[in-house]
Amino acid sequence: MEYEVQFVEHGDREARFVARPMTPAFANGIRRAMLADVPTFSIDTVRVIENSSVMFDEQIGLRLGLVPLTTPPGEFEHGDEVTLSLDVSGPDREAAAETRTAYSGDLVANDPMVEPADENVPVIDLKSDQRLQIEADAVLDVGQEHAKHQGGVAVGYRHLQRVEDAGPRGEFDDDETRIVRGVIEEGAPEHAVTDASDGDLVATETFDNNLRNRYPDRELELTDVEEAFVFHVETDGSLSADQLVEEAAGSLRSRGVELAEAVQL
Amino acid sequence: MMVPVRCFTCGNVVGEHWEEFKQRTREADDPEDPEKVLDDLGIDRHCCRRMLVSHKDLVDIVAPYQ
Repeated sequence: MEYEVQFVEHGDREARFVARPMTPAFANGIRRAMLADVPTFSIDTVRVIENSSVMFDEQIGLRLGLVPLTTPPGEFEHGDEVTLSLDVSGPDREAAAETRTAYSGDLVANDPMVEPADENVPVIDLKSDQRLQIEADAVLDVGQEHAKHQGGVAVGYRHLQRVEDAGPRGEFDDDETRIVRGVIEEGAPEHAVTDASDGDLVATETFDNNLRNRYPDRELELTDVEEAFVFHVETDGSLSADQLVEEAAGSLRSRGVELAEAVQL
Repeated sequence: MMVPVRCFTCGNVVGEHWEEFKQRTREADDPEDPEKVLDDLGIDRHCCRRMLVSHKDLVDIVAPYQ
């Protein structure tokens, strides 16, 4: 089965695309695979050597676990471990009022492929004479196991909607907004304020989610396009949006293959 | 105490932007409107926005009692 994918927005960590033709069940399968089945590294065990900060070891451990770590797909296997260390001391005694902050970027990994995806996440503020020295094991696991291993953030989809002209608006009609979110398929290009052609995909942000801005003085009819879904994918930085979608599709495929092999008569 | 690493609701990493947000809205000589700063930082959802808007650093307050 071949699917047609058209990108509406395409960034490193964020993407929006229309995929068709697919059933709602398959679209939801991809969404769920992105959330639960794509493995990412996350700190799971922390050995505290010294923690004289104002937070308990467990609190620090929780914060470290939530820091996203880059996970190159295909390089590691489920359950692999990478060790990271962090050693930050507060300022010297002379500058007693000062604070030194330990950031996620201070984490040093023993494998150069795994590093904090965001470097400015404050872990803990340290005053003079305080020190945080830890060793941590990051493990490759899936979102099903713990949300910290989830590569996707706010991943979702909605139907693609087609906008069609339904005649002129009454001169004395109320000036109500006509809000639509996501992506529309152009079906009334002659009435749009910008140049457009039939079948164009338009993100609703371009007209402030209000159809009245794009088609002034026209009545419009919105219909769901059968078997077409607009996906919005955002990642926490451990993978790029492209990698996340590919990995999710790959995991669905391997499940399918596994099932086909298991039920062969 | 410290700013949450992630948004409680959606899991987006918000801690990353805290220092810039704090600097631009509270510590700068010419503080900016938090709404504009959040838009600028790309924190679009209201679940993530409330994480930064409603946060207060407390380390300095509890530090003397350690």
